[in-house]
Amino acid sequence: MMVGKGISDISVKVPEDVHDIGKHIPTLGVYLTAIVRDSQGRVIHIHRQRSHSPTANFMGLFLPLNWYITTGQAFSLTNTSNSTCSYNPGLNQNAYCIVYPSNAYNFQTYLVMIQVGSGTQSNPFNAYSLASPIANGSGTGQLVYGTPSVSNTATVSGSSAYFVIEQTFSNQTSSTINITEVGIITNVQTSCTNCNSSTSCGNLLVWYDVLSSAISVPAGGSLTIAYTFTVNP
Amino acid sequence: MVAPDAVSEDDIDKLIIPDNLPDEPTFKAYIEAKVYDKEGYIIDYRRQPMKSLTQYFLALMSIPLIGTYSGGSSSSSTGLLTNVLSLPSNLSEGNGANIIWTWSIQLGSGTQTFSPTLTSLAAPILNGTSSGQLVYSTMAVSYTGSSVFVLSAASNNTSGTVNVTEIGLTCTVYIQYWSSSSTYSTTSYSYLLSYDTFSTTISIPAGGMATFQIVISFTG
Repeated sequence: MMVGKGISDISVKVPEDVHDIGKHIPTLGVYLTAIVRDSQGRVIHIHRQRSHSPTANFMGLFLPLNWYITTGQAFSLTNTSNSTCSYNPGLNQNAYCIVYPSNAYNFQTYLVMIQVGSGTQSNPFNAYSLASPIANGSGTGQLVYGTPSVSNTATVSGSSAYFVIEQTFSNQTSSTINITEVGIITNVQTSCTNCNSSTSCGNLLVWYDVLSSAISVPAGGSLTIAYTFTVNP
Repeated sequence: MVAPDAVSEDDIDKLIIPDNLPDEPTFKAYIEAKVYDKEGYIIDYRRQPMKSLTQYFLALMSIPLIGTYSGGSSSSSTGLLTNVLSLPSNLSEGNGANIIWTWSIQLGSGTQTFSPTLTSLAAPILNGTSSGQLVYSTMAVSYTGSSVFVLSAASNNTSGTVNVTEIGLTCTVYIQYWSSSSTYSTTSYSYLLSYDTFSTTISIPAGGMATFQIVISFTG
């Protein structure tokens, strides 16, 4: 059967009230929580906002193989150094896909860090790095980065489920440090099944947010950033 | 995950500033269905919000977010992959392994209460030409910006009407590896990423067909 009649038939064949039967409901929620502590460890500020922005890198890595097969295209990933990497997965022994842990040839694709910065940029989707990343260290304007952690499983409660990515930063300088942007950085490597080498795409910014207001981390204080990814919140 | 605070819950409420949660949601998704009769005329058209993602969607999206390894020097997969998707922590028989996935749309004729741990539709409609079955066409996936469009068509090649009451976005994850016997192998795992019921039954007449589109949009 040919589908020869399109949307122009609708007004004739279908009552208007079936065109759209409801409003969008957010079935996925992503929240960014920042907890600031003073030098005594006391909570002095909690900031919570919706997280808005997967980057183009995220989309390229999230797309299913169907897209790569039907379009025949590769996806250009851009790392934090502004170098590009062609991602073109497939279902065959020579296809370069994200490496999976095995008993040999482990080329880690892993969470590097939640990165914080002091800049902003207006097009988060196309961002490949923070506008002004704050370096890891105890020098002026720097923060000591803790090790990131991720929930070991999804927590299910009723119809909702979530997991959390979290990291703590310490201000070991003598001055307040202001945070205005946050991103998730993941190192990506691809390899084929009969390869003993990998293609390293490097550190990729996969999620990015500009804070709705700056967060100030006092001298001697700390900041904990938690990203919560939840379905059916 | 967040360490205990040194202040009371009441104090924390006062400290939460600002709260911009009323803003636009991070994510929007909807389901669209068009039904055509055997002459090719549209006889029904639906568009409704997608309501119900499962925990498997969360675990799948963790791959581009945090990768497959639990650390930079680890040889084990993340807890989300092992505990939610039940993927191996380490592929012991694989010399070199990688991961990829496909999506598809599954239709059904049943209903069930949603749970984020649902693994299948209540009554999947099989691919075929026997009574109550539909012939599924090849999936098409496209994307624009931060929106992904998943489109499937199903033809009713039977002599009776086929009723569709539920729809799911499904995923097959493939782990490809080079085995110890030097052969290419794959292991596949199937998941239900979303589950929705239609507000009213969609009827596909004999000789007719329907297209089903799921649109998931991360608002960038």
